[in-house]
Amino acid sequence: MLGPRDRVIGQIYIEGDLRVGGVVEGEVEVTGDVEIDDMAKVKASLAGRDVTIRGHVNGAVVARKRLVVAKSGSLFGDVRVARLAIQDGATFSGKVSMGAGAATAPVKAVEAPTPVPESEPKAATEVEKPATPIVAVPLVAAPKVTPPAIIKTAAPAPVAELRVAGKDGKGKPVAPPIKGKPNKKKRR
Amino acid sequence: METDGQSDSKRGGQNRLVLGPNDSLEGKLTYGGSMTVDGGHAEGEFRVGGNIDIGNGTVVKALLEASNVTIKGEVEGKLTARDKLTLGKQAKLNGDVQVRRLQIEDGASLNGYVRMGEFEQQAPGS
Repeated sequence: MLGPRDRVIGQIYIEGDLRVGGVVEGEVEVTGDVEIDDMAKVKASLAGRDVTIRGHVNGAVVARKRLVVAKSGSLFGDVRVARLAIQDGATFSGKVSMGAGAATAPVKAVEAPTPVPESEPKAATEVEKPATPIVAVPLVAAPKVTPPAIIKTAAPAPVAELRVAGKDGKGKPVAPPIKGKPNKKKRR
Repeated sequence: METDGQSDSKRGGQNRLVLGPNDSLEGKLTYGGSMTVDGGHAEGEFRVGGNIDIGNGTVVKALLEASNVTIKGEVEGKLTARDKLTLGKQAKLNGDVQVRRLQIEDGASLNGYVRMGEFEQQAPGS
């Protein structure tokens, strides 16, 4: 959970769910669900399983399962989702790719192994990063390609970048809330 | 094709064109009233002053322009809703969309660009 006063500039990778109440800029990748609260301002690409947007989002969104843009939400950016719900009153502009072909196939590929080893969905999202977040095709190949060892090395990396980014970016006040929280964020 | 004179239109006194299962419309239509396609065949370019409703299980290949568009079936083509576009649970829409308001129910399928907000005046039939 990133509260209304928290701010992140950089890359975030979280195993588990993420709830954003403040400002996020950069790239967000979450293995679980993402919730963007009313007051949140996000200028980042988002990737997650269920993505719910109640605040402002400017950036591409990949939802492996479902994207919901609520009444109060606004989303500007291209979207690749398995399912999509937009409530009346929401604002949305962008390209939607859905269902047939690339979007559905990886979703099944990712969701199926979830109960067995937790590492596979992580690997999938990890692989996605170097490419454009919108590209869902690599997801299919991902579980086979990436051994769990890579995840261990890859996971801390974004955290380190976070701190660096905090220094060049909006500076000192940014860093402490981030350092304090990674443990809480990794709920699962 | 039949016109349903008494019209249940929300805009009072407007005509409604209803295409039932045995009806077919192909070509360019400019119409002041509302239009419902429910089981019928419709293909072409439809610009109406009122609303367009596409019923469940109906497949429409057309450019659509209306105040409110409600889709429960399948639509292929560019779509403009001067007010609101609603996609029902089983709706499928393939095409670029320009709307003022948008509601998509979970389960609907959409592929295309969505542009939202106020837009330049596009008189029906232009």
